[in-house]
Amino acid sequence: MTGAGLRRVVAANIRRSRNHFLLASIGIVVGIATFTFFIALAQGVRAVVLGRIFPLDQLEVVPKSLDIAIGPLALGTSTLGADIIDDARVREIEAIPGVQTVYPKMRLTVPSIAMGGEALIGADLRSEIVADGLDPALVPDDVAPGYEFRDFDAEPGPATACTEDAECGKNMYCGVPAGTRLSRKNRDDDYGKPPKGTPTVCRHYVPVLASDHVVELYNGALRRAHGFPKLVPESVVGFTFELVIGSSMVGASNKDHLVRERAMLVGFSRKAIALGLTIPVGYVRRLNVDFGQPEDAQRYHSVIVMVPEKDDVAAVAKGVADLNLEVADTGAEQAALLIAIFTLIFALVSAVIVGIAAVNIMHVFFMLVYERQHEIGIMRAIGATRGDITRIIMGEAATLGMFGGLLGVGLAFAASFGFDWVSATYVPDFPYKPTTYFIFPWWLVAAALGFAVSFCIFGAFLPARRAARMEPAAVLSGH
Amino acid sequence: MIRVRGMRKAYRTGKVVNEVLRGVDFDVEAGEFVSIIGPSGSGKSTLLHAIGGLDRDYTGTIEVDGRDLHSLSDTALSDYRNRSVGFVFQSFYLLPHLSILENVALPAVFARSGERLDHAAASARARDVLEQVELGARTDSTPTMLSGGQRQRVAIARALFHRPALLLCDEPTGNLDSKMGAQIIELFRRLNADAKITVMIVTHDPRISAATTRTLRVEDGNLFDEGTHRPTAMPEPATPEAPQ
Repeated sequence: MTGAGLRRVVAANIRRSRNHFLLASIGIVVGIATFTFFIALAQGVRAVVLGRIFPLDQLEVVPKSLDIAIGPLALGTSTLGADIIDDARVREIEAIPGVQTVYPKMRLTVPSIAMGGEALIGADLRSEIVADGLDPALVPDDVAPGYEFRDFDAEPGPATACTEDAECGKNMYCGVPAGTRLSRKNRDDDYGKPPKGTPTVCRHYVPVLASDHVVELYNGALRRAHGFPKLVPESVVGFTFELVIGSSMVGASNKDHLVRERAMLVGFSRKAIALGLTIPVGYVRRLNVDFGQPEDAQRYHSVIVMVPEKDDVAAVAKGVADLNLEVADTGAEQAALLIAIFTLIFALVSAVIVGIAAVNIMHVFFMLVYERQHEIGIMRAIGATRGDITRIIMGEAATLGMFGGLLGVGLAFAASFGFDWVSATYVPDFPYKPTTYFIFPWWLVAAALGFAVSFCIFGAFLPARRAARMEPAAVLSGH
Repeated sequence: MIRVRGMRKAYRTGKVVNEVLRGVDFDVEAGEFVSIIGPSGSGKSTLLHAIGGLDRDYTGTIEVDGRDLHSLSDTALSDYRNRSVGFVFQSFYLLPHLSILENVALPAVFARSGERLDHAAASARARDVLEQVELGARTDSTPTMLSGGQRQRVAIARALFHRPALLLCDEPTGNLDSKMGAQIIELFRRLNADAKITVMIVTHDPRISAATTRTLRVEDGNLFDEGTHRPTAMPEPATPEAPQ
């Protein structure tokens, strides 16, 4: 039997039995739509959760700690493990198979306050901050065009005296020279304003990278509480604010002296600290030494380990543990597990729906084979082999599956658009609210169609076998 | 051409076994015009189906052009039915959802040996055959638009599509009135005389039997060769009936 002949016979049979096939395909359409919709939803949620909230391709490695709970007293200690990560440790982590890159992070160990925001949100905010230092070479792609993320004070050149910001260049301001220690007066609200007559020079702002979490938290929660405007990440770049290092809202934590800097947001990065500021590591190193010990210059508090292949994550985590370090629990594994369970449940529900549809298809094909037995007999009489009869029935089933699959995928697309529209129109903003909850990768569409065709062929298998085994003489003579 | 030896066939219904053919022997030479007669249920159609390769559930030997049909694979037997044999049935068995032309060209879809015609060539061949049965003007009609006689002629055209050497007809006029039946028998006679096609007709009608050149009678499981005879002309066929 030729392929063209098979197509013509199948097409003619489907045209003739279109009402039967339409009814038979409803289950396939619903099942495939369910399958495609929920897998696409799981993909979309996974992309947001594991791509933005808990990036799974990066692990944060920290010194191992031991939590001891004795009654109401809980102690956290890192003395049983390696309490610091230094350059030698970084090289050992880099050597673990599956690790692409390692980004050492140095936490600012000095209490600090950030102040500002009137130009952006109409009111000055003041907040205790946490800051991380990162090697600028590791985040070149995260810096907004026109800005730089580097340690401008690493090798201070000749300073240009100034009296106001306008005298300095782009992305610069007029302030006290780098490293100037300001004395604290005995007041908790003393933020180290330089005394009159203090010389001022043109300086670069301290470049700051922030995590998307910061904007999401602000938009999703903080702005509602205070009635502030919504922020778009791109529009926040270039925002400047004051940093007061050595000062704290907790009075007892105040240091004897202060360092004042002005900072500028230059971009957003997934490698930035989740809730805080990330600045070039040089600034953090100098400040930690200034307020602490000289050896603080070589202490990293964590490293970000990039693992491009998700399958390598477990092996890398084990390698990290072998180095007496541990992976900070970000919740990514639990989130991934929940998403996997969610996906599996709906895939099973879809499989049940499509399975029931396959049984329905089996009934329809048994009925059609019975109705067409004389026709099958005459086809056998004019030269059709058993294989030809099987191919005709299977061809009809495959075509039914393909059309049912396409309709199901189309229905899933339509439902996803509706879902996104309802979310965009009626659901209030929340942190990480996506513009679409769905991702339809090519393999999902291919799998949905393959799934539909396979189940239809599965459903038609027994009827096709029965049709192929019909004895032509028996069906044509009625014996 | 056809050599049947010791053919036996039984139908089983529960525990009851009905042996309809009890060791049948006969030969049919190429170009013969043979009728098979006998009472209902005597095994005439069974014999015809076995010769046509539709039924292999028998004992004994049926050889056609030296090939033992029992020894052929499903594919080879299907090819035999496709190329070497044409079937005409009492109930026509046309596919109602296909046009006349598509019905006639259907054997081309299942061709797997010899000349394999593409769609255009198969359609052209089908038109030629429909012209032979005087239905060249009805190619786009569907079977439901035709009269019984016209449908049977379409079935004959389908049987002739691959120019078979053997035409097997099972009560071909059973659903037709006598005038139409006469036209169909006349058509078989012409095919036998002009195209040298071997024709075997199962019939109850003694007039059809008389129109053939040889009669085989099946009775009580046995076959009796009543020998050759001069064919008696069927009543003069009228002009083909008008389409309904």
